[in-house]
Amino acid sequence: MEAIRCEQLSKTFGDVQALQPLDLAVEAGSIFGFLGRNGAGKTTTIRLLTGLAKPTTGTAWIAGVDTTQIDSVVRQVFGYLPQDPAFYAWMTPREYLDYLTRLFRIDGAERKRRVEEMLELAGLKDAAGRRIGGFSRGMQQRLGIAQAFIHRPPVLLLDEPTSSLDPAGRYEVLELIASLRGQATVFLSSHILADVERVCDTVGIIHQGQLLLVAKRDELLAQYATNVISLEVERPEGLPALDRFVAELQAQSWVTGITSSDNVLRIAVNDPAQSKRALWPLVSKHGLALNRYEWIRPSLEEIFIRLSGGMVL
Amino acid sequence: MTLLFYVLVILLMIALPVVAGSAARRRLAVPWWLFCTGMATFVASQIYHIPLNLWLTRQGVLGLVSASEPTLPRTALIVGLSAGFCESLARAVGYWLLFRTRRSSQGAHSPADCWEGAVMVGLGHGGIEAMLLAVMMAATISSLWGLRSQDLSTLGLSADQLVAVERQLSTFTASPWLALVPLLERCIAMLLHVTLSVGVWSAFRRRNPLYLLAAVLYHTAFDGLAVYLSQFVSNAWLIEGLLLVLALPGAVWAWALRARTPAVPPIPRMTRVAEWVPFGLSLLKELTQQWRSRRALVLGVVFLVIGMGSPLLAKFTPEMLHMIPGAEQFADLVPTPTVADALGQYVKNLTQFGFILAVLLGMGAVAGEKERGTAALILSKPLPRWAFITSKFVAQALVYLLAFGLAALGAAYYTSLLFEPLAFGPFMFGNLLLWVWLLTFSAVTLLGSTLAPSTGVAAGIGLGGAVVLLLAGSVPRYGILSPAGLVGWASQLGLSVPGATNGGALAASVVWIAVCLIVSVAVFEIQEL
Repeated sequence: MEAIRCEQLSKTFGDVQALQPLDLAVEAGSIFGFLGRNGAGKTTTIRLLTGLAKPTTGTAWIAGVDTTQIDSVVRQVFGYLPQDPAFYAWMTPREYLDYLTRLFRIDGAERKRRVEEMLELAGLKDAAGRRIGGFSRGMQQRLGIAQAFIHRPPVLLLDEPTSSLDPAGRYEVLELIASLRGQATVFLSSHILADVERVCDTVGIIHQGQLLLVAKRDELLAQYATNVISLEVERPEGLPALDRFVAELQAQSWVTGITSSDNVLRIAVNDPAQSKRALWPLVSKHGLALNRYEWIRPSLEEIFIRLSGGMVL
Repeated sequence: MTLLFYVLVILLMIALPVVAGSAARRRLAVPWWLFCTGMATFVASQIYHIPLNLWLTRQGVLGLVSASEPTLPRTALIVGLSAGFCESLARAVGYWLLFRTRRSSQGAHSPADCWEGAVMVGLGHGGIEAMLLAVMMAATISSLWGLRSQDLSTLGLSADQLVAVERQLSTFTASPWLALVPLLERCIAMLLHVTLSVGVWSAFRRRNPLYLLAAVLYHTAFDGLAVYLSQFVSNAWLIEGLLLVLALPGAVWAWALRARTPAVPPIPRMTRVAEWVPFGLSLLKELTQQWRSRRALVLGVVFLVIGMGSPLLAKFTPEMLHMIPGAEQFADLVPTPTVADALGQYVKNLTQFGFILAVLLGMGAVAGEKERGTAALILSKPLPRWAFITSKFVAQALVYLLAFGLAALGAAYYTSLLFEPLAFGPFMFGNLLLWVWLLTFSAVTLLGSTLAPSTGVAAGIGLGGAVVLLLAGSVPRYGILSPAGLVGWASQLGLSVPGATNGGALAASVVWIAVCLIVSVAVFEIQEL
């Protein structure tokens, strides 16, 4: 079942096409990472999904409800964290969260319990009585996450949720997002590839307003996996035997290329299964002392750079 | 009792379009900007309709509307034709612009392409007409109220004028139920305007100008008959009944057309009651903000100082002049201050500072939230945009009401101490009038704040609007109906000899506020955040 669906959703600002017609479906319960560099169209997409901006063409649905109509009731079905969340500076976080629970019609004791729970979750329990105006960006970001979760929506739209957080805060937020897997659908935009790789099960890559691909993270990594083995030999014991080893390797039918750098070998193969069986006897035959043996796997960053034509995030 | 009925009817005539528009917004899922389009088409049509009628009168084509005039049928026909042509032309231009600008961006889902949209345009067109007629009615009732106990022969009226005034006065005092006739008339007129709006829309939708022609002729028949019947049928209820009979077939046709046209895609919406809960919460938040930001406190203190200081200033101005070296001779030129001077000083001070405060305190209400990003975050929650806008206005209104209360109490106390007690009830009513006057500036500033992308631009629009409002009081003949008319009226209240009432200015101010709020909501509904 789809939690988020877009059909031909596009947005044009004057002559600039910020988002080219987007067709997208996000499965319920998944954590969807929306990757792209700054200005790629991530925030525009989220603003269209929330109804804060009107699409030039197309429609979007969250939990089956059209959200592209400004001022509708569907705001119950999603939680939204903007890139730079802004709050009423004169309020305390407890007052702000309480105001939201009232808007979401959460009653009585449950309301108080939810507010305290979110303050705890955001690590703002000690600052609950302080004015938000005095908060650091990181504290505001954590409050932003709390306000997005407060009504336990089935869908969460998070725009760069970790951008203002310190490493510990980032870790906690990513853990929290990961813990929602299966319970809520998370649509997470980010340009921090490591974050997406860590928590997302599905990845969409957008570049210059165009969706380049959508795939399961593991399938994507497998699809772009390179059949390269990296060997690092112990120095200086392994070095004398290394040249003889390379010479014999080059004669193997399953080897397509070898590069070496000091004590590290990168062996490209055309038949992974055969190479796994044949490599070890050769290593043993030449008496190489190994420090490391690794099948090289590309990171999302490398895939992204390849897909976006060498653009660096 | 009679006056109460008329006041109630005037308020209903102003509220009816707002209620009808709100119902259409909810049930038909059409935006407020279509209502505003309808308002604009009516106002635009009057820019050439009124001069055209004046010109036709000067040319002798339009004669007197009187049963004894042999040219009455022709006059009735031309009056109707003039209204039908002018208003349908404005509608046509409105639809032409709508179809041109909206279709390109929203395709078949454009509200302008839907029957429901045409209904909303009709409600706006008929709605602003009802509001403006309420203003005219309020001005008339206000004048008649003042004439009740006067000897009309002392007013220097011609014989014809005297007869007309006496007839109006007798109608006014005859039965309070007659007050309902104008309200019924406006209900029927709004039904007609919706029909005509659907008719002109059909001309564009079906690319058939015959619908436009039919709309002109239908309007002609309706208005012409209304003019003709008014001279021969003395029973006002019967006239309205006949007009209703004439309006119903068109309304049935317009309703039947709904099933044959594509509908606006349904939008899930909160229940009516559920929509008022966030309004209440937002209002509470706004009031808390006014208190925490110390705006309410500052405003209260400023108004209290003005209230207490004005009688003091009036009383001691001559003595202060005596104390200034070289200015002693001017002190003798100042007449002995009276309670009227104290009241005048009070009104002058409040109005001078009031509008500047209204602009300063209101300019950032919406623009500031848009700039900071707080609006985008809070409006991603179940808070309707109309509630966001109107709660800000209501909160400001309540704070100003409190400030006026403090100022009034301070002024009343010091005036009684230094001069003589003011007539408390009328004086407080005068303060209410000044409060409404101030709200007209508050409303225009809120509109500026909604339109503007930043607080600075909002301040510019607010100040510009305030200046226009102030200058409107100087417009010959119509200036009396501007909000400035309230200041003149309020200046006399509290004195032992009350002056003339100006209900027209009060109704005009209420209409101005309502229009500013409707346009603010309409604009904000389509703004991206």
